[in-house]
Amino acid sequence: MDINNQTVPEDLYYDKNDWWVKLDGELAIIGMTEYGQKNTGDILYLELVEPGYSIQCGEKLGSIESGKWVGNLISPLTGVIEESNYEVEKKPRQVNLDAYGKGWMYKLLLNDPGEVRLLMTAQEYAEWIAEQAKCELEMG
Amino acid sequence: MDLYNLGSVNWIESQSLYHALALLDREGVIICYPDSPYVCLGLHDDLEHEIDQYFCQEAGIPLLRRETGGGVVYLDRHQVFYQLVLRRDNPLLPLRRQQFYEKLLRPAISLCRSMGVPVELKPPADLAVQGRKCSGNACGDIEGCVAYVGNLLLEFDFLTMSRILRVPDDNFRRHLHLAMRENMTTLADWGKQAVDYYDLASGLIDGFAREIGDLTPCRVDRELKETAEGVGNRLTSPEWLRIPGRRSAQRKVKIAEGIYLAERISSPRETSCVLSKDGTEAEITSANFWDRAVTV
Repeated sequence: MDINNQTVPEDLYYDKNDWWVKLDGELAIIGMTEYGQKNTGDILYLELVEPGYSIQCGEKLGSIESGKWVGNLISPLTGVIEESNYEVEKKPRQVNLDAYGKGWMYKLLLNDPGEVRLLMTAQEYAEWIAEQAKCELEMG
Repeated sequence: MDLYNLGSVNWIESQSLYHALALLDREGVIICYPDSPYVCLGLHDDLEHEIDQYFCQEAGIPLLRRETGGGVVYLDRHQVFYQLVLRRDNPLLPLRRQQFYEKLLRPAISLCRSMGVPVELKPPADLAVQGRKCSGNACGDIEGCVAYVGNLLLEFDFLTMSRILRVPDDNFRRHLHLAMRENMTTLADWGKQAVDYYDLASGLIDGFAREIGDLTPCRVDRELKETAEGVGNRLTSPEWLRIPGRRSAQRKVKIAEGIYLAERISSPRETSCVLSKDGTEAEITSANFWDRAVTV
């Protein structure tokens, strides 16, 4: 579905840090949403954590730098990093160019696949984007 | 919001205090300047790639890595710093972090204009006078806060800045010095050599009050000082400074927003410099180097 000119694929889960999550059994493929990358701007540098690293939901999962901002990537789920996409680390602009494809960042082996129930569906994320856009407008 | 108008501070404190505010989850505005020169790396800069460490050591210029974005900067007492720390849930902050620069930089813009210097915002985060940069700005998420930091150049030591960076050869260094001189400016260039810190600070404080509301003058309390000491030790520790960062195969130095000086390797024995301005590249030859050098 499209909302405010942002693509929100319906088969994915989402969180408020603008991650998308694609579930494949106990494995989750995760990356930054189109809405997230547009808010971040041109991504100049990405620092991903290595495979084998155990991560809790809400913990730091790497670092990101755009034009004039640096921030942390915050994990949407709990598990062990199965694979880090080092191609996107070499070419971080891939996140801007193909957020749901070549721009994926991690494959995560989940401790509990049921944890995705705490994430948003596409419909809920689309509504959240619309709400954020409204707030931005009100702030001018 | 708390205001810390500190004047001259120790060089480490000129960075560690705003980090400490963020770590303590305290919002505030800091205006200050460092009492001695130092080199400050951005969070993702690579020390080995960026810095001529031998020169810095010989010249007694210390190093610090901040937790905000942007590149390597040379900082000294001829620059006035403004630093704003906001909680990430502060309704003033837009989702697009870069959009906030417009608000952050309004105080510096109005101050410069009141002194007759026609400063303009060059998005996302540079201030420029007739296209030449006079202020550098950066931001970063630190724990539950966002820190926006910037400076106004009263004067700038272009020669030392061109020495602290690791570059391929002396030819590149000469081009770098000239490119900075051509594309950067200072208040002194505009006849404002004798401007007083307290006049500048007062103008900035008035501007910040207009943008973010009432400011309450505060002193650095014990909690803030102790936290800043701990942070300062970390930001200057060899382990923290040596964390690997971004590297490129060919040397490229950002001069200002949209302006880069890059090394071009044509063959193993042939290299040249290319100055790129807003996407337009110009190769620098010996002939046009001297023409430009005479103009500057």
